[in-house]
Amino acid sequence: MDRLSKKYLRARKIPSTACSGCGLGQCHKALVLALDELEYEVNDVVWGTSIGCAGRQTFATWQGDNFAGTHGRVYAIARGLRLAIPPKMKIILTVGDGDAFGIGFNHLLHAARSNAQMTVLVCDNLGYQSTGGQFGWTTPQGIVTDSSPYGMSEPNWVQPEMDVLAMLKAAGATFLARHVSMDGVALVKSLKKAVQNNGFSLVHTVFPCTTNFAKNALGSRNAVNIFRWVKDHAAPMGEEKHNTLWRTGIYHDASNSRPEFSAALRDSVAEIQRRYQHEGSH
Amino acid sequence: MKRFLETGNFAITEGAIMAGCRLFAGYPITPATEIAEAMSKNLPKVGGYYIQAEDECGAMHMAVGAAAGGMKTMTATSGPGFILYADPYGWAIGCEIPIVVLNSQRVGPVSGITGAPGQGEFYNARYPTQGGNYETIVLAPNSAQEAMELTVEAFYLSERFRTPVTILADQLVTDGLEDISIPETDEEKEAMGLRFMDRKVHMGPDFYPATDEIDLPPTVLGKNTGAMCSDWTPTEEGYDIETVEAHHKPSYRMIYKIRNHTDVIARHETLFLDDDPDIIVVSFGTASRTVKTAVKKAREKGLKIGMIRPISLWPFPDELFNKKSTYLSVELDYDGQMVREVERAMPCDSDIHFFGKCGELPTVAELHEIFDKLLKNEPLKPEGWEKEVW
Ligand code: SF4
Repeated sequence: MDRLSKKYLRARKIPSTACSGCGLGQCHKALVLALDELEYEVNDVVWGTSIGCAGRQTFATWQGDNFAGTHGRVYAIARGLRLAIPPKMKIILTVGDGDAFGIGFNHLLHAARSNAQMTVLVCDNLGYQSTGGQFGWTTPQGIVTDSSPYGMSEPNWVQPEMDVLAMLKAAGATFLARHVSMDGVALVKSLKKAVQNNGFSLVHTVFPCTTNFAKNALGSRNAVNIFRWVKDHAAPMGEEKHNTLWRTGIYHDASNSRPEFSAALRDSVAEIQRRYQHEGSH
Repeated sequence: MKRFLETGNFAITEGAIMAGCRLFAGYPITPATEIAEAMSKNLPKVGGYYIQAEDECGAMHMAVGAAAGGMKTMTATSGPGFILYADPYGWAIGCEIPIVVLNSQRVGPVSGITGAPGQGEFYNARYPTQGGNYETIVLAPNSAQEAMELTVEAFYLSERFRTPVTILADQLVTDGLEDISIPETDEEKEAMGLRFMDRKVHMGPDFYPATDEIDLPPTVLGKNTGAMCSDWTPTEEGYDIETVEAHHKPSYRMIYKIRNHTDVIARHETLFLDDDPDIIVVSFGTASRTVKTAVKKAREKGLKIGMIRPISLWPFPDELFNKKSTYLSVELDYDGQMVREVERAMPCDSDIHFFGKCGELPTVAELHEIFDKLLKNEPLKPEGWEKEVW
């Protein structure tokens, strides 16, 4: 990461403030790698983050412009910001599963509907880990957490029949992918495609939380165990096994197939202005 | 000068566009919907954007997001939407982002009466988000014309103070059809006392120093300054931090940049205060219009009655309440919210009384009856409610 760190990241925030052994770094690194491979400069990106582990540990790591929004609202902030900043600048958001699929879901769906350019990397630690380890909307069934002490009894949004990516596709998202953080090359590839879509892209990436999830679910903070556990429960789409929870790969790619939110609004405003100036009346 | 017979909603839109507003994000709600409608019609003509959001929380976040990107932006709502603004208010206050928010108050709590005036957000407007450690600027117009002028002023103050400025209107201000003069030339604007300020950009890379200074340019994202703004306690550079020592600095800034410069904000209207009046009536917003008529008529009858109308409502203008007198707070709520502030600000040997209406204005006759009782030292029984203290 040294070369990448120097080029893109702030010394003050590297090494990361995440717990040791946390898989968040893999998500973060994959995104920076993708931007590097696309030859982006620091000034080509405004980097936004949310609340929780994913947000807090990635906030202000980027050498360029950074913001951290209120819990679940970064998608709305980004839609406003999208209209104010140069169209060529990319908005990148690193957020958590609670932020995107819980408190912010309504804003997320409308960001997808409007196809506003933002690359949302959902760093999924399978629940609310920065608050100690409560279940979330992707926590697998049966898993013990601090708020599901008898095992998670509710269904979740990665079950095939109710996949959150299917909802986002139906809502209008133009690029969707799912990975686990150890996917490496495949994750970077998806992120590159996501960033290149001038529209709403979301990459859902499950990563191992050693401190809280692993302690509750596996009874140990041993990083090797939880990394293996996450990896074992993931498989590329079409190669699912009996225990597969996360079907990985590009779920939906309609990149650049429909107008981007701010571009469409800019065009429509320019057209109205032209017409109005031409007619010169109210 | 353009002259119209139009609603306050129209006037507010004209004021906003004149002040440089180029993005409005809203969500339909009575009685503020017409502002959104007028914005959707008029903003594109000047190259501006109208966004209709999924809810009020989203609407204000969009407006603040665009403001964080350097645009002058606004949102407008009524009580039930105003409470959903709590979240983005906090972000804008903490990140010190200029934005203008209008609340056309109706009758609450909850949905209450949608198409009638109330003043139940007197304290909400002061504390629009959680956590404390900040001051707020709130302006209260009582007519369509003044709503236009205060919209311009709100944009001006928001830029100078790097903070949301709230226009606390009510249903009659925004829906009422009135004569409105819109200045066109610079001379006309100046003659009307309108002030303007362009957006400046804080060139960073630091966030803000621990200072009560105003006129520091706001942090703007997307200008390649290495700007950082977040919902967490910031260091002076803008990094997130969790120490009490560090928190002291932004708190000091958020409180004292406003508290130490109230002279820039203060506006009020007073009437007949020079002869130590027996009663001083205090009111703001549309309630003050019948109050003013009642006070003038009482004077004609020889009664020594004065009036104070705070226009800048927060910070509360304590300095106006320096006379020993019998104060009467007239409000469009039944719970007497402003009573507490007047009581706190007035000399301790003064009295304070309350008359509240909700959904409609007090009439001149009702007010005269109250003046009469107060002058005779009779207890007030507003609508059958006896308030021992008031
Ligand atoms: S609590 Fe879990 S997800 Fe959060 S930083 Fe620690 S290991 Fe990572």
